[in-house]
Amino acid sequence: MNVIQAVKMYITKMTEESGPGMKVILMDKETTSIISMVFSQSEILQKEVYLFERIDNLSKWDNMKHMKCIVFVRPTSENIALLSRELRQPKYGVYFIYFSNVISKSDVKTLAECDEQETVREVHEVFADYLAVDRHLFSFNIVGCMHGRSWNQNHLQRCSQGLLALLLSLKRRAVIRYDAASDGCARLAERLRDLLRREAALVDNNVPLTGDVPTPIVLILDRMDDPVTPLLNQWTYQAMVHELLTINNNRVSLAHAPDVPKDFREVVLSSEQDEFYAKNLYSNFGEIGQTMKLLMDEFQKKAKSHQKVETIEDMKNFVETYPLFKKMSGTVTRHVTVVGELSSMVAKHNLLDVSELEQEIACQSDHAKHLQRIKALLGTESVRHHDALKLVLLYALRYHAHASSALPALLDALNARGCPEPKRVLLALELAAARTRSEDLFRMMNPQNITKRLFKGLNGVENIYTQHTPLLKDTLEDLIKGKLRENLYPTLGGDDSGYGRRPQDIIVFMVGGATYEEALSVHQINQAYPGVRVVLGGTTIHNSTSFFEEVKSAMQGVHRTHTRHIKNV
Amino acid sequence: MAAANDDEILEGFLCPICKADLKSASQLTSHFESLHSEEQDVLKSLKDIFGKAKKIILNNDDNDLKETFDRALKLNYQEQAYYHSQEQVVGVSRSSTDYFKAVRSARLERYATETNKLLIRLDKLVCNMPTDQNMRKQHEQEVVPWLDGSSVKLCPNCAKAFNITRRKHHCRLCGSILCHDCSVFLDLNIARAIVDPSAPKSTEQQDPETLEKTGLRLCEHCYNLVELRKQVQDSRNAKTVLVTAYEQMRSLMEQARPAVAMYEKMCQSLFDGETTYNLTDVNAMRGRIGKLAEGIDLLSKQIAAHPADPGTRQARLQNAIRQAAAHYIKEDLLSLRKLPTEAQIEEVRRQRYERAERQIQAERQRMEREAATQAAGPSAPSDNHQDDDDDPLLEQMNIIRGYIKEARKELRFEEVAILEANLKELKKEYQFQKLSSKS
Ligand SMILES: [Zn+2]
Ligand SMILES: [Zn+2]
Ligand SMILES: [Zn+2]
Repeated sequence: MNVIQAVKMYITKMTEESGPGMKVILMDKETTSIISMVFSQSEILQKEVYLFERIDNLSKWDNMKHMKCIVFVRPTSENIALLSRELRQPKYGVYFIYFSNVISKSDVKTLAECDEQETVREVHEVFADYLAVDRHLFSFNIVGCMHGRSWNQNHLQRCSQGLLALLLSLKRRAVIRYDAASDGCARLAERLRDLLRREAALVDNNVPLTGDVPTPIVLILDRMDDPVTPLLNQWTYQAMVHELLTINNNRVSLAHAPDVPKDFREVVLSSEQDEFYAKNLYSNFGEIGQTMKLLMDEFQKKAKSHQKVETIEDMKNFVETYPLFKKMSGTVTRHVTVVGELSSMVAKHNLLDVSELEQEIACQSDHAKHLQRIKALLGTESVRHHDALKLVLLYALRYHAHASSALPALLDALNARGCPEPKRVLLALELAAARTRSEDLFRMMNPQNITKRLFKGLNGVENIYTQHTPLLKDTLEDLIKGKLRENLYPTLGGDDSGYGRRPQDIIVFMVGGATYEEALSVHQINQAYPGVRVVLGGTTIHNSTSFFEEVKSAMQGVHRTHTRHIKNV
Repeated sequence: MAAANDDEILEGFLCPICKADLKSASQLTSHFESLHSEEQDVLKSLKDIFGKAKKIILNNDDNDLKETFDRALKLNYQEQAYYHSQEQVVGVSRSSTDYFKAVRSARLERYATETNKLLIRLDKLVCNMPTDQNMRKQHEQEVVPWLDGSSVKLCPNCAKAFNITRRKHHCRLCGSILCHDCSVFLDLNIARAIVDPSAPKSTEQQDPETLEKTGLRLCEHCYNLVELRKQVQDSRNAKTVLVTAYEQMRSLMEQARPAVAMYEKMCQSLFDGETTYNLTDVNAMRGRIGKLAEGIDLLSKQIAAHPADPGTRQARLQNAIRQAAAHYIKEDLLSLRKLPTEAQIEEVRRQRYERAERQIQAERQRMEREAATQAAGPSAPSDNHQDDDDDPLLEQMNIIRGYIKEARKELRFEEVAILEANLKELKKEYQFQKLSSKS
């Protein structure tokens, strides 16, 4: 169950079916992202694909009859219209058409009637209809899937189609389980079941029966069941980059950072194309610094240099003074740049202090102490408004029902320091409080079990707490052990003969978005339970910034009930 | 076993003038500077050589570093296994091609009959078309009868009323009535090319005024059908210089792939101390790959330099082909592993030989022990010693040696490998024969 591999194989199939010759690939906005997640441009070039065109680019007509055109688009009505237009006046010699999902007969007919020059050779459905982020992680890049507490219908459709495609691309049948407390999950589960019924022939003809093996499970969960995870600062590499610099379709923009070399204004971070990244995705920040330092030490020994390399700053200087190093280690240079940027943000915004407190609030209960420390950090100028907001929200989520809750005072403090829209705290609190099992929000950890994990390594990085584990990990472990309660997570569609048996293949989908911290948990589960394969997906992959967007969209036009009494925002 | 050469080659850091062996490069340089300083030219070239040697040494250092990087940056075996462990088959797909083609052909059949009718008329029209205007009109009406327009008051196409300024005209292919504004004109030369694709094409475009005078007046419907036909024809004959160059380039790439694989195999064989190939063979193979790389480079540059307006798809295409070719050359053809030096090869071969020697030694001792235990009977000295030159096996071996030489010369290394294997078999057999004839 490797989703990157699944998409790659589809695309390779497309380039091979068209035979030798110069090729162009015609895509829409979404399929462009789907492809760019799994292939680099130079890889595609080696498959004789030389031009990448957007189907909605209506630029001047050129005669390119010497080229073969691979069309890869989603089966939307706009795309059918655009493609009809293209076929009536074909720019290219022959066309091989691939839709990324189920297409209706009437749409095929429409297209066939436009192909008067008989340029179309093949018309297929392939099911590469999701963004493969890592081998066990996928997304639909939708921020704000809910509008006023109910599904945006387009997004609901997109997600159900995408999940159908995911199953077909992995050749899996499935039973659906969902979080019964979430209306959004129930709607998506029903929609997916309906789609699977409608396409029963497609599944039956192409996907082998599982036999003795338990049927794979699609587990649909609600982000708001755990609003804490997306709020925390992260210290594993991938999650940290996303939280602090934002990863968008595997790309990270460093354009805003001071003195970043021109080549690195935008860097691509892809575990498929960058082995260092693949190796260090889940390493913590300190370990990566260590790895880089070792690398440079070894280089120095060989280059007989005696330059001092201790800090990230030294590393950057070092890389610049050794062109040979630069040349041979484009990868390292890229990561030195990224890590350099992360480390300067950590220092500049007191992120170690912020993170420590976040972790404590998430894992322990100590109202007086936490309140005092939040107040102190709110008064610290170098702490970003964004982090201040997150701290107050974490406090609100844990203590809003506490007898001496100081939430209104903290909201005042946010206002006073000029934090934009402190009201966002209440919106998120409202959304979370509307959930039935909100007492599970914070997972109490035995204080004795809390271990301070020491980061050895670079100057400047000290003790970081990584106590918090996402709720998802527990939910998955319950499911794997057959302990996930049927009344809370009912089954839809398929037979439930597998109930109580250890499932092997699990596809978890989070309505409202997943996080990289959860992807790490899934990675750990895949390693800890041999034979169990889990793939995680979400409407999007959140960091705390996009999570606040998600909340805002879900609360659009909704009146606050649980937090009605708080008026000072 | 070592055959003494007639002219022995001296090795080491020898002074080119007095032939003294100086043991090291720096000693040689200082010896030369102090004793032969008048020979400045030689000195300079000497320094150049050492400069180059230094570079090679540094390059080796690079290789070392590369290993370091690989170790730190690339996934180790275990991690690799985790990443690629699960075998996966390509996902479900479904074809609608049959349905698509069924719909299309049903629709196109209708068009095809209509187009064919028009093409027959077009052929009659352009064939023997009189130059005289009146005669031409008559010829046209003989081929296609014109519709009687007396009762028609409006242009059927644009619905504007006919009058003195808007006069009635006829489509020369279907004979229907239309106004001047609704008429389209087909160049007679193009019309000829459509009915006879083998006819020479004139590329010059006629200006609108001449076209209206000399071209065929058509209605839009007829024009579109004829134009469609032309486009299909054009795309069939669209094999341009560019496409030819591209196909040549791809064919070189196809040849390069097995060549690189062969080179890697030969190289490995050398490193393993086998004698199937020699250093010259592998160098020749390397040279051949270099030639292929040169060819690919040249063709891709030609493609990139092909005239195209900047910013157009065509220009982007040509650049992308060049970029892909450059990448391919760099990654696949120029990153070949380094050849071992003669000394390195000698060393592995020596080790291999010694191993074999030891084995033979052990075997011989074992046999002697066995012979000793078998109560040493009087072994009759065999006198049937054959003359080497008359042995058919030897003759065969010589023939094969000749073949090998030939195959080498033509870089057919697959063949070399097979022949070498044959030769080895024969040698073994010959030795066996000798042994048995002795005992
Ligand atoms: Zn001398
Ligand atoms: Zn008209
Ligand atoms: Zn007509």
